Amino acid sequence: MSATTNEIRIGNKVEVDKEPYIILGNEFVKPGKGAAFNKIKMKNMINGRVLERTYKSGEKLDLADIEDFNMTYLYREDDGAVFMDQKTFDQVSVGGDLIRPIAQWLVEEVIYQVVVYKGEVIEVTPPFFLEMTVAETSPGVRGDSSGRVLKPAVTNTGAEINVPIFIDAGERIKVDTRTGEYASRVND
Amino acid sequence: MHPALTTKDMIQERARMLSSCRAFFAERNVTEVDCCALRPFAAISSNIDVIPAQVTTSQVAYLHTSPEYAMKRLLSSGCSDIYYLGHVFRQGDIGRLHSPEFTMAEWYRIGVTFEEMIQETCDFIAQFLGPLPIRKISYREAFEKYLSIDYVNVSIEALRKIAEPAAPDCAKWKRSELIHFILSHFIEPNFGKNELTIFLDYPPYEADLACLIEKNGELVAERFEAYYQGVELCNGYHELPDGTELRHRFEEENVARIKAGKPTYALDEGFLSALGPQFPNCCGVAVGFDRLLLLKHKLNSLSQVLPFAYPYP
Repeated sequence: MSATTNEIRIGNKVEVDKEPYIILGNEFVKPGKGAAFNKIKMKNMINGRVLERTYKSGEKLDLADIEDFNMTYLYREDDGAVFMDQKTFDQVSVGGDLIRPIAQWLVEEVIYQVVVYKGEVIEVTPPFFLEMTVAETSPGVRGDSSGRVLKPAVTNTGAEINVPIFIDAGERIKVDTRTGEYASRVND
Repeated sequence: MHPALTTKDMIQERARMLSSCRAFFAERNVTEVDCCALRPFAAISSNIDVIPAQVTTSQVAYLHTSPEYAMKRLLSSGCSDIYYLGHVFRQGDIGRLHSPEFTMAEWYRIGVTFEEMIQETCDFIAQFLGPLPIRKISYREAFEKYLSIDYVNVSIEALRKIAEPAAPDCAKWKRSELIHFILSHFIEPNFGKNELTIFLDYPPYEADLACLIEKNGELVAERFEAYYQGVELCNGYHELPDGTELRHRFEEENVARIKAGKPTYALDEGFLSALGPQFPNCCGVAVGFDRLLLLKHKLNSLSQVLPFAYPYP
């Protein structure tokens, strides 16, 4: 599968020098009455490096063999983790390199976005908001319910976050995984 | 970058600028000609593609990429100084500074010198961008100044070496494509930083519809472009009056189109026969109106100055 430089849009995934890139920008450049070019900005999906390359307009780029899956987290395995595809129920092992940075956001039964390139998982993204249980924190203080006064806490997944002072150990809270901040209390 | 104009302000500004264009030409006794945008023949250029239109079930015509051929027929039939202010169309030109439909101010002046035409173009641009110092730089000087190369004698390998870091696929490119790439990526961005840059003395193979002239022992095209803030604003020529020479150039452009896998276009015989002894000695220039509006307001994309911009990636 390929696409011409005129068809490529932001968000498309292409393969350059045998590595997958996501398109960040595509600028049409044409001098005077000269030949047309496309200046394409892209980010390497494995190492995050941003690259800018120019192609002749109409030239073809290979689309990357990238697929996105919704997968349920099952359990840790060595320093990696095992997920299950929502559709096929196939189980997939993901290595420690990808799991370690998100280990504090792994909650059983929760669905994660898993990006697969040529059959290999290259990215696991937790949902933006995740419910977890406060495992350790100082006893809750009544009175201040504004949520502006915070204290440190550790969740059952090992995430260290600041929570409002009225939260007690054992309570369920919702956390924003993008910022690592407390979002709300979960009232069952 | 400045804040975008509101739609109302943009529409009013366009209207004011269109009036200023017409006033500029009226003061100089240049007559407006309202040329048809739908033409039976396509303009022939290897790098400009034409938007075809199905006129009847069996007939295809083309939206003009510029009113040049039609205006030159008018010049040949005795119309003197004329201008066109209206829309033109180009296939595939879609981007921050390109729109497949845009507004062009194109005019022809009889009996003026190439230098006088450049000056009048600068005056036209100055009405919108204010008075700016003018810097003239030739094709040869620009390649020497910014890349220390003699663009005529430099080897194709040396050109590839310059292009390669930014365009690793350039090994497959032709010499002319490498030159255009270097021009657009390494030279044009330096133009018009604090002045209006006039880029001129194009190589003969870039003459398009311009006359050739010998300058400092070198054959160059009497063609110029103006740049401000790295943005090309116009393209002007001392117009070639020779139909035989132009036929030859068109045929070469069609050959280049075949090599690039593009369709060829039939020659517009009515236009070619308008050239010859009856064709007046004249200069002409086409200015991109929307880009003037963009630069005047220090904006960044044509989509901010077109009332209904064509969407792009």
